[in-house]
Amino acid sequence: MTSSGQINNKNTTPEAEHKALPESYGTTEASLLPRDPNWMFIYWEITENSKNAMRKQHGEDIFQKGRQVIRVHEMSGGDGGGKYFDIPVMHDAKSWYVNVQESGKPYCCEVGLTLPDGSFIGLVKTNTVNLPAGRVSDVTDEKWMAVTADFDKLLQLSGVEYIGKGSGEVAKSLAQRWEMLRSVFSRASSWGVSSMSSQALQPQKPAEKKFWLVADCELILYGATEPDAFVTVAGRKVNLNPDGTFSMRFALPDGLIDLPVKALSKDETDTREIGIKVTRATTTDGK
Amino acid sequence: MANNEKGYLALVLHAHLPFIRHPEYEDFLEEDWFFEAMCETYIPMLDIYERLTAEGTDFRVTMSITPPLCNMMADPLLRERFRRYYNLRLELAEKEVVRNRNTQFLAVAKMYETKFRRIRELYEDYYHGNILAGFKKFQDMGKLEIITCGATHGFLPLELRKEAVHAQIKLAADDYRGHFGRGPRGIWLAECAYNPGDDVYLKAQGIRYFFLETHGIIYGSPRPRYGVYAPVYCPSGVAAFGRDMESAQQVWSAETGYPGDHRYREFYRDLGYDLEYDYVKPYLHQDGVRRNIGMKYCKITGKVQLNEKAPYNPDEAREMAASHAGNFMFNRERQIEHLNGFLGRKPVVVSMYDAELYGHWWYEGTDFLEFLFKKIHHDQKAIKMVTPSEYLERHPDNQVVQPCMSTWGDKGYNEVWLNGTNDWMYRHLHKQVERMVELANKFPAADGLLKRALNQCAREVVLGMSSDWAFLMTVGTAKSYSTKRFVAHTHRFTGLYEQIMGNRIEENYLGDIEWRDNIFPAVDYRVFSTAEAEKAAAGK
Repeated sequence: MTSSGQINNKNTTPEAEHKALPESYGTTEASLLPRDPNWMFIYWEITENSKNAMRKQHGEDIFQKGRQVIRVHEMSGGDGGGKYFDIPVMHDAKSWYVNVQESGKPYCCEVGLTLPDGSFIGLVKTNTVNLPAGRVSDVTDEKWMAVTADFDKLLQLSGVEYIGKGSGEVAKSLAQRWEMLRSVFSRASSWGVSSMSSQALQPQKPAEKKFWLVADCELILYGATEPDAFVTVAGRKVNLNPDGTFSMRFALPDGLIDLPVKALSKDETDTREIGIKVTRATTTDGK
Repeated sequence: MANNEKGYLALVLHAHLPFIRHPEYEDFLEEDWFFEAMCETYIPMLDIYERLTAEGTDFRVTMSITPPLCNMMADPLLRERFRRYYNLRLELAEKEVVRNRNTQFLAVAKMYETKFRRIRELYEDYYHGNILAGFKKFQDMGKLEIITCGATHGFLPLELRKEAVHAQIKLAADDYRGHFGRGPRGIWLAECAYNPGDDVYLKAQGIRYFFLETHGIIYGSPRPRYGVYAPVYCPSGVAAFGRDMESAQQVWSAETGYPGDHRYREFYRDLGYDLEYDYVKPYLHQDGVRRNIGMKYCKITGKVQLNEKAPYNPDEAREMAASHAGNFMFNRERQIEHLNGFLGRKPVVVSMYDAELYGHWWYEGTDFLEFLFKKIHHDQKAIKMVTPSEYLERHPDNQVVQPCMSTWGDKGYNEVWLNGTNDWMYRHLHKQVERMVELANKFPAADGLLKRALNQCAREVVLGMSSDWAFLMTVGTAKSYSTKRFVAHTHRFTGLYEQIMGNRIEENYLGDIEWRDNIFPAVDYRVFSTAEAEKAAAGK
């Protein structure tokens, strides 16, 4: 299995079939995941019961009065009490990517409501996530001090300039191959559409299917001559049917294909030749 | 052996495929990924080890064979289907030699005939269908070090529960013991994805080392004195080896990498498309759609259209592979000599690659490796090949550094496995893990039907955790298949969970799922219990 695949900016939406899973599990909870030194992903669920409890406690119109926010706490040096900031989100949002300025710190998020008077009502809290620093450590041990001056050179030798970009760069040739594979397979399709052909037999085919189009063409060459003649197509011998007819089916990639058809009579005294040149050019709207 | 080497080279190949096995279909396309990798990478690698050993060339290589791959290699149904696969290929190759006897493709046609005959010979006569025994043989000789991987290549930094991390590692170590007769000494963390602290779960299984992308070490704290050219110990005492980017780039750079040489085989001209339809039809899948069949007659040739590619010349390509191996070795010698002078200590250069790049993507890659092993053995003195275990035995003193969270994916962190195409998965995955932990804690000693159902729940959870699904959604190639797989495992888990909690397990339903998802025959669901994970973390 290949790894380190490149993130493709054109491929940003999930396959429709994920909707076959439940949208909620009936528990009020929130989770936070690390993505990279400056980004986290939070998802949450707030049940109707929890909301009703809030309404009871803070008034029926609390969700109209309050703005839903994600409060992002920086957790270094103990629990809460430290720095935080709010990200306003829509009431029906269920997940969010959270950007933080400072890498290398622990963070915790709380989904809640901010009220016009500036107060905050927390609805659900996440786990704490430790983000990586994304840079060379400031901590140097005793042993290290002796060779500090050379560290930059060591970084170069270690290939530090490849980090991030580099990991992808190594994968670029692969990613291109994946791309090409896809373009080759998009007509006969192993990976994407293949599972469709293999699994199309399944009775419970999902109702919501993204709109799609697959089109391709192959080339069928046919002809007839005396049943006992010797026929070649593009230099390759052709087996004739008893009545002297023949047909062949070829893949038809983009470009020019040259298919000279030659027939030689049985007594090798007479020949006929037909040259067929086919050009294929495929275009797509790229959607 | 004289100790006059200047440094070490550790070659690490990561062999992995997701668990793909569909007994419910007579013929299933995605199973071909496994058969192709068997023919192009795994069996050719064994062939190399056999030849090197027979001719007395010493070598060292570290290879992960992930638990899903082990389970596929050992599975009777896939073994039978693999036989069908290579026998069909051989039949076609034999026909092709006759058809091409007066053409410029004769040499390449013969190459395939020889190749598939050798595959049959190795698979049947040497290993009797069990190629894990082949790999074990070379491990027992001390030339190959087989390492494990998370049970289903699970992506650990995005797991919230430590029970899940423990389960991925423990299941893998147990599975490894079953196949190789001893515990794993090293592990390939799926995607090199490391979350600080997870190393304690490795230690609990007796695992001594793992691998990291360059910045996992370089950005560690305190600063690593020798960069990636010496391993570091995590606070737990488990060693982390960092990837050398120079040797990685040399092989895989898009501009200057070896595999782009115009004498090498062209991947995109395949007999599945080139042959006349009726002739090739018996070798296609049942749906009769043209696809790649893995036999290719052209070389890269240059920047020309696919229909202008020239015939492949096996001898010329092999010579090129030898020359590239020589170039690779020369560069490693210079690199190691330079590092030795700079560091004042013998460096270890860790060259890590996906195993399937050799042979499958880069057809001549296996020849390249064979030449490299030979040249290093015969033609130079500066480099000594080592396995990480050997290195740690020779150099047990290493700096203690806490490596940072990192992966070998694009941009270096978790984005490949956490973005708009796949972030919807985690809500469901985490819920399953939470429920699985709940089940394992609730039933400390189940038996009978309940035990079977709990064990199957554990299989479904780990199958859903496979990082491959998120990866394939990101690259967009098998988005539909990977989404279907994740959804299917989630449904199966949830179905069983509800039956267990409602005390109404349906044996037919369970039996059907057991028949489909038979990975880890010896799984014990209690691997997900909180007590087990805590014991492991505490070092008990």
